[in-house]
Amino acid sequence: MIVRWLVILAAVLALARGASAADVVVWHAWMGAEEAGLVAAAQRFEAGGGGRVSLVAVPFGVFDAKIETAIPRGNGPDVVIAGHGGLGKWARMGLFEPVDDLVIAPQMPVAEEAMRWEGARYGVPLAYKTLVLLYDPAQVAAPPKTTDELVALARSLAGDGRYGLAYEAGAAFYHAPFMHGFGAAMWQDGALSRLDTPAHAGALGLSARLAALGPTRPSSERIGQLYREGKAAMVISGPWFVADLGRPIAAAPLPIVSETGQPARPYLTVDGAYVTRGPNTDAARAFVSFLAGEASAIVRRDVGGQAVTTLGVSADDPVRTALAAQAAVAVPMPSDPKALMAWEPLNKALRQTQRGAASPEGAAAEAQAWLELLTRPPPEPASPTPYLMLVGVLGLLAVGRVAQRLSSVELRGQIAAHRADYLWVAPAALAVLVLVVAPFLVGATVSLFAHYEGSWTFVGLRHFADIVLSRDWPITSPMSFPFTLAVTVLWTITNVFLHVTIGVALALVLREPWVRLRAVWRVLLIVPWAVPSYITALIWRTMFDAQYGAINAVLSLVLGHPVELDWFARFSTAFAANLVTNTWLGFPFMMVIALGAMQSIPRELEEAALIDGAGYFTRLRHVLWPLLRPAMLPAVVLGSVWTFNMFNVIYLVSGGEPDGATEILISEAWRWAFSRGNRYGYAAAYAVVIFGVLFVYSRFTNRLLGKRVL
Amino acid sequence: MAGIQLRSVEKRYGDTWVLRGIDVSIADGEYVVLVGPSGCGKSTLLRSIAGLNDITGGAIHIGARDVTRVSPRDRNVAMVFQSYALYPHMTVRENLAFPLKIRKDPPAAIQAAVAEVAGMLELGALLDRLPGQLSGGQRQRVAMGRAIVRRPDVFLFDEPLSNLDAALRHHMRVELKRLHRRLGATVVHVTHDQVEALTLADRILVLHQGVVQQVGPPRELFDAPANTFVATFLGSPAMNLLPGRVDDAGLSVGGVALGWVDGVGKAVRGDVTVGLRPTDVVAAAPSSAAGASPWVGAVDVTESLGAEALLHVEIGPHKLVVQVPEPSPWRAGAQVQVVPRRVHVFDPGSGRRL
Ligand SMILES: Nc1ncnc2c1ncn2[C@@H]1O[C@H](COP(=O)(O)OP(=O)(O)OP(=O)(O)O)[C@@H](O)[C@H]1O
Ligand SMILES: [Mg+2]
Repeated sequence: MIVRWLVILAAVLALARGASAADVVVWHAWMGAEEAGLVAAAQRFEAGGGGRVSLVAVPFGVFDAKIETAIPRGNGPDVVIAGHGGLGKWARMGLFEPVDDLVIAPQMPVAEEAMRWEGARYGVPLAYKTLVLLYDPAQVAAPPKTTDELVALARSLAGDGRYGLAYEAGAAFYHAPFMHGFGAAMWQDGALSRLDTPAHAGALGLSARLAALGPTRPSSERIGQLYREGKAAMVISGPWFVADLGRPIAAAPLPIVSETGQPARPYLTVDGAYVTRGPNTDAARAFVSFLAGEASAIVRRDVGGQAVTTLGVSADDPVRTALAAQAAVAVPMPSDPKALMAWEPLNKALRQTQRGAASPEGAAAEAQAWLELLTRPPPEPASPTPYLMLVGVLGLLAVGRVAQRLSSVELRGQIAAHRADYLWVAPAALAVLVLVVAPFLVGATVSLFAHYEGSWTFVGLRHFADIVLSRDWPITSPMSFPFTLAVTVLWTITNVFLHVTIGVALALVLREPWVRLRAVWRVLLIVPWAVPSYITALIWRTMFDAQYGAINAVLSLVLGHPVELDWFARFSTAFAANLVTNTWLGFPFMMVIALGAMQSIPRELEEAALIDGAGYFTRLRHVLWPLLRPAMLPAVVLGSVWTFNMFNVIYLVSGGEPDGATEILISEAWRWAFSRGNRYGYAAAYAVVIFGVLFVYSRFTNRLLGKRVL
Repeated sequence: MAGIQLRSVEKRYGDTWVLRGIDVSIADGEYVVLVGPSGCGKSTLLRSIAGLNDITGGAIHIGARDVTRVSPRDRNVAMVFQSYALYPHMTVRENLAFPLKIRKDPPAAIQAAVAEVAGMLELGALLDRLPGQLSGGQRQRVAMGRAIVRRPDVFLFDEPLSNLDAALRHHMRVELKRLHRRLGATVVHVTHDQVEALTLADRILVLHQGVVQQVGPPRELFDAPANTFVATFLGSPAMNLLPGRVDDAGLSVGGVALGWVDGVGKAVRGDVTVGLRPTDVVAAAPSSAAGASPWVGAVDVTESLGAEALLHVEIGPHKLVVQVPEPSPWRAGAQVQVVPRRVHVFDPGSGRRL
């Protein structure tokens, strides 16, 4: 992760330096044809005497973080090209220069509107994206006009591994058209809407019916593959889906929602170009106004395949015609950061109804409760006085104690005598201070503050009380701390048990004289450990896919009938999937330790036991294991700490599904920090609690083992 | 109790022969000591009897039973390893009780057996210690105790005394002898130590490069070694070997006629290898008539061993070690008359005794 960051950073820095001061530096996240269109447009601009442009493609996943850190430090580009969803946050951060006075070619009103924030215009619109109904003309003669027709048609086209309709039904973005079609909303008039309305419940019900027509929780790659193979007759997706298909595709606006007679209204995002605050503003303004102009729009349409927002540049192919028709009824994506809070509750409600774990009404009510928790105002500020006094008293005590000890002549003499030694350890001590102690203290301090929309409030130990006492959820809820702690402990125990059992068993087998190619086996069995854990986790995730995963395929073969078990729909199976993945990752370490420890146990001990009449398992239990145990116990302690904090597997395999039930403490902390409104203080409190649990555990094991392991 | 029959036992690792055609019968209750130079296959033979390694050919019988394919668990043998192989995580008591516990003897019987063995080997005070807290000799006794407690048919000892100092080794040798008399079990004992072999053995088995050189009572091996290997291997200081000739006038070495010395068969004629134990020679002043031997040489080096001294005498091209009682009058450079009392003659080609 860090390495990837550094590489990107280095590339960006190198490119930024390569451009001369007068160049307009542009950061964008467009890929493929869209990028080619942008490059062609920039060439037109340069050819027309507009000055040099240097384009930098920043990976989508790090785009926001890049601009949010680089621009305030003055290392940013002159122009940013990005969707308007983040505009509210960025405008508030002051990343962009308002461009109210910039004259550009006339644009679609909805696109112009998307570029505005709190009355000011921050960018020029370039292209828009929205969902439409894409279909295979070979299978679908006429696109359905209503959702009832859609369901009926999809049913008639399904069977034999083919689907009538495939889309990412579990994501709220794909649910939005039907939500709006039912008259429900997430965000309206500058405020979050209630999620527990009958309209929301109706929409959830419809989404569940539509989801049932397609494969279980398909990824976008899977849907593309299905379409290419002719196994998906209809797809709900956007212009990005159409590129490089190698198969004819047609498009139509999404159908009318039969229940209400209203059109399905997807979200519309507008990719705009924004001018950043900096010395190069004039050249940047010239470039963005060129980009929005007709000549650039035609190039971007023809080369880049974009649906452009410039009026008068007609949509010239059927897909873009459908997009234009859809755009007329689409809802602009809200760009207020507060709107982001509704996504997680809605996603959850969607998956619950689609799994059949809750009725649409129940799921909607739960989503509303969840939304209220996420958006409730920050706790009352606490008075820092008692805390400061406590810190003062503790500080005084510490100073007093140090002074008292230093007053001992003997100690002072010893310190003086070992001055050189202290000097030797100083670099290491400094490193520990900077890399371990300082971040810990910062984290601990942060845990005393609540972070809410960019402002910090001192709340004292409030977060700890909320977490440990589970004030916000009944303790049986997957969101509660006791529940997550119990899952984490279960996770750790089962993992370590399997790691040790499998690791020791394999080490025992590898020792047997009849094993051929021992060295080869040893290397092969260590491979799972050598592969980066997130790669392994992603591979296992795909192997657990309900329709296409290797695991279900093997189960089908063994059981003799097709198995389409949705591993992530139930706690037990999702937990098992995580467990299998982490066991795969964890046994080699234990095997290596066991192999090493066995090397140092004389064979004669076992031979003596054999002659004494002991069978294999008796020897194992009475001779080998007692001698192996001293070496295995520290490994067990280490392994359990690693497993306790094994974020990668949880995040990448089950992702906490179902409903956060398989989340462990560390991944829960991550969610609070990064996907639930940046509650850094709450997340930091979680981290401190994790530290506390592991601290107690390590003291306990030290006592148990009678020596210091950690 | 049971004897052991080894029938054409062979052991090979790939192309490396370790044991070849071992044919030996060990009687019930016999104490057999296995000697030979390092790497000659002693441990391999012992481990083959125990069943810890498979043999490539032949058969092994213990008592009336063919155990060639029987697991070590079921051979009813006990082995004391050179390293003792005590279970380091068990107390002495648990070590001693282990074989019986596995056999699922009743606890009372186990306790009684452990107490008896502990008494026999004077381990009573050590029962609750771990092996790591014992001296080498104490560990050795525990290892012995763990073997005895089972009352096996056969004891196998692989250099059990090699880690001990001289005094302790002597003490343990006596203990072993006493134990053997008391238990009356069959014992196969591997050692490097000649004294151990000569003092303990009913019979000694000499092994060289995986082949049995000679089996017999210590006296017999000492008095009538079957070949030059056995002759030089047993006895300290080692036997002198010199090229010689036997004709009608008797034995001559390096052209010096020595006549019909004791040990030269009357029927032997031709070139021979002459074996002369340093103890079978008398040294005298050249002029004296003690033996009136024509064999005279110069003392090269003298070594004092306390009660005796060794003279390295050069006679022509040959070197000869002679043992004389201390105090010895001989100094380096002195002329000495060597009188052989008894010799062994061997075929110079095959090394066999003539
Ligand atoms: N696993 C094996 N593979 C190949 N050769 C082996 C193996 N084990 C033993 N040998 C060889 O067999 C021969 C006899 O070994 P063994 O251990 O029986 O000797 P030893 O007489 O007990 O020697 P020492 O007195 O040094 O203990 C040696 O040459 C040894 O190298
Ligand atoms: Mg040996």
